[in-house]
Amino acid sequence: MTNKFKEFPGTPLSEGDFKEGKILFYHDQMKADFAWDTGVAIGSYLAALKEGYLLGGYCQTCRKTVIPPRTVCEWCFRPMDSYVRLEDTGTVNTFSLCYVTWDVKRIKEPELPAVIEIDGASPLHGIMHKLGEVDPEDVHIGMRVRAVWKPPDEREGAITDILYFKPFKEGES
Amino acid sequence: MSLLERNPQAPNAWLGDLPVTSRYTAGIAGEKFFRAMKDEGKILGTFCENCDITYIPGRIFCERCMAELDHWQDVGTIGEIYTFTLLFENLDGTQREEPLAVAFIRMGDGGLIHQLGEVDLEDISIGMPVEAVFKPKSKRQGSILDIQYFRPLTE
Repeated sequence: MTNKFKEFPGTPLSEGDFKEGKILFYHDQMKADFAWDTGVAIGSYLAALKEGYLLGGYCQTCRKTVIPPRTVCEWCFRPMDSYVRLEDTGTVNTFSLCYVTWDVKRIKEPELPAVIEIDGASPLHGIMHKLGEVDPEDVHIGMRVRAVWKPPDEREGAITDILYFKPFKEGES
Repeated sequence: MSLLERNPQAPNAWLGDLPVTSRYTAGIAGEKFFRAMKDEGKILGTFCENCDITYIPGRIFCERCMAELDHWQDVGTIGEIYTFTLLFENLDGTQREEPLAVAFIRMGDGGLIHQLGEVDLEDISIGMPVEAVFKPKSKRQGSILDIQYFRPLTE
């Protein structure tokens, strides 16, 4: 279809046209502040992160432990029964080497986003976070990792209170 | 037992902002309209011969018959108040001490929305003839604010 057209209608513009003031344009910035209610379960999860531990939720009926905790079980739709304190260790379930930042800038050293199955949660249940202190070449599925926390006075009740997860060998503290 | 109680230690809300920026180009007709305003202090319109309509600000096609319009003309700086309102609040919601008079000024078969100046608020009326007051040439930027305001036409 497109190769039928030799010329496209419209006025092509380049970044230079904007910079050199060749065309008139208006720049605007939307005021898009928001406040997202953390709710009961995620609120408790964030409070736990500030304290320096990971919190999960447990459903007695399904015998499932999930992280982050929810108030309602995803399988039986009954209210969850309790919170469970989980380990800050886990296993890499999947990962990626990411050579672009969130605002699409190229980077030389890749970011290492990974889904980490947290110890104490049901199998295949985990959170997404970054890996650190590791050679990207050495990252593999099944790798054992432990959370590296911010110092207590810098924690603010956010997932970034964990800086990243780093590999460890069993038996090491 | 279920999880119903909020943790009093927990943050109630997660605060954030979305970095949303935009760049709006004046376009082919807008470019011509605002360049004339900036460089010559003129308001331009386009005329459709077929429909006998003068578009202000100028457009590149007729909204009625879709014909391409290239008959640009200087339409002067005088218009007539079609409707107006007094604003007592700023964009950010703060109170203004002096209300701002904003009007739709009918020119040809179109018109401009702009503010009124050099006028006693009590005296503003629909149908009142007004003229554009341009900023000094050095301060014009190719925007609608190159017109400072419209003021009542003095005979």
